[in-house]
Amino acid sequence: MIEEPYRWVEAIANRREYVEGQLAPGSPIAALGYRDGILFLTLGQTRQKLFEIYDRIGMGAIGHPGDIERLRMAAIELASTEGFTRSAADVSLRRLVHYSLSPAMKSAFEQIYGPPYLARMLFAEVGARPEDDLFLRVEYDGEIASNGATYARARQDFAVLSGTRQSRELMEAFLKTEHTPDTSFEAAANSALDAWSIGHMLLQTDDAKELPERAAIAEHRREQLAVAAIEAAVLERDGRSAIRYRPLADKELRSLITQ
Amino acid sequence: MDYSPLGFDQNFSGAADDFPSLLRRKGLMNSAVIDPMTRNGTQQQAWQPTEATTILAFKFSGGVLVAGDRRATAGNTVVYDRADKVLEIDRQSIMAIAGVPATAWEMARVLEHSLQYFRRTQLQEMSVDGKVRALSKLLRDNFGFVMQGIGVVVPIFATYDGNSKPEARLYFYDAMGAQFEATDYAATGSGSPAVRGILYYENNWGVKPLHELSEEEAVSIALRALDTAAESDTATAGVDRAGKIYPVIKIVSGEGITTLPENKIAAVFKEMVA
Repeated sequence: MIEEPYRWVEAIANRREYVEGQLAPGSPIAALGYRDGILFLTLGQTRQKLFEIYDRIGMGAIGHPGDIERLRMAAIELASTEGFTRSAADVSLRRLVHYSLSPAMKSAFEQIYGPPYLARMLFAEVGARPEDDLFLRVEYDGEIASNGATYARARQDFAVLSGTRQSRELMEAFLKTEHTPDTSFEAAANSALDAWSIGHMLLQTDDAKELPERAAIAEHRREQLAVAAIEAAVLERDGRSAIRYRPLADKELRSLITQ
Repeated sequence: MDYSPLGFDQNFSGAADDFPSLLRRKGLMNSAVIDPMTRNGTQQQAWQPTEATTILAFKFSGGVLVAGDRRATAGNTVVYDRADKVLEIDRQSIMAIAGVPATAWEMARVLEHSLQYFRRTQLQEMSVDGKVRALSKLLRDNFGFVMQGIGVVVPIFATYDGNSKPEARLYFYDAMGAQFEATDYAATGSGSPAVRGILYYENNWGVKPLHELSEEEAVSIALRALDTAAESDTATAGVDRAGKIYPVIKIVSGEGITTLPENKIAAVFKEMVA
């Protein structure tokens, strides 16, 4: 089967379709840089989706729990040994993702006799200033998207992850107009919730090209907040301790939410 | 960062792996092996405890106070007079070290990373008993070096147990890794006999028992105890009046760890000790 190149391409295309299908129902995750740090936010009822990787690095992921677990372990292991043998300042998200995770995920995806990673991950690393924050989204095939400026796009101070491409793109479109990096925690939390709601609504419709109405977003958000728990974490910009990652309890956020 | 074969192994599970075994797997930490065959010739040469320093800890009204002098020595030479022997391991734990600095600092570093690694991988804090045991295991692994006469470490571990019955807890160890929970106070290092005498006296016949002392009173007793230890033990610095170098004092409480600023210690010293 592999001897014929077009079969390989076909196999990869099938595999892509399969993985996309598996990831499609995944609840969106938004990561927003604000004045005092980076906020990760998602809503859910069951599985934990946000994790601490190292002092200044957090991760959110959707996909199969077993695959997320293996990738999370690998990331923690790499960061921890680097932080131990050199120093915490030498642990860098860019190197972790570009040199270690992405190549491993790409080869797992393309070796069609082995299983691919059913996972899509969003990493963020808090910097000394908002413009130093780094966001990286890593796909199941090892593809990396960063928040940095490209020829067609200015730098973004947020990153999102969702089950489908259209859901993700509309969340990004929303945050591009709504979110600024010098905002307060409260404003960031509300923008993140709105972005989540948009992403979640779009997972249920097949072919939406435009952002839903404001009222519809608010309505959906209210409905979901009534049934689901908020899962959130922050990476603090200025911490007394070296460890900047802090999970936030549901009730810490409820009081800040404007209806 | 190197490629991690096990991390990407399809059969890999992180559940059973602790940080020291990760380091061993990657060849970053080696345990000294106790080999009786090679030791036979020198078996008679008794192991000399060389934990030349003084560290102490006791419970007072505001938690546990941990103090250490600043002197580092090699034989009869003072190598360094600003050594920090009271080390923060996590948000509520302190390890104070007496012994060979290279081994002790490395051990503290491994312990610090172990606790973080556990929290990150297992998604929960390690229990106090788990932390105490983790340090005990490190001491046990180091015992080969102790037997060779290079690398004895005798630490004190102070932490805050936030569980069902919140309280500050204090442990001391021997060089083989046995752990002892102290009810009131602990002291190790070459100057510790004098310190133990003072703390015992204060606790039983002092103005009030140690656990009722205010922060200022506790600091003054710590300074007096270290100064007393320095009086007869050359490896302990006490308070360096000429150089204005004060011991490191940290407090563990429900709020976490507080490092007392030097000016605060200096003020207590001036008023109640000097």
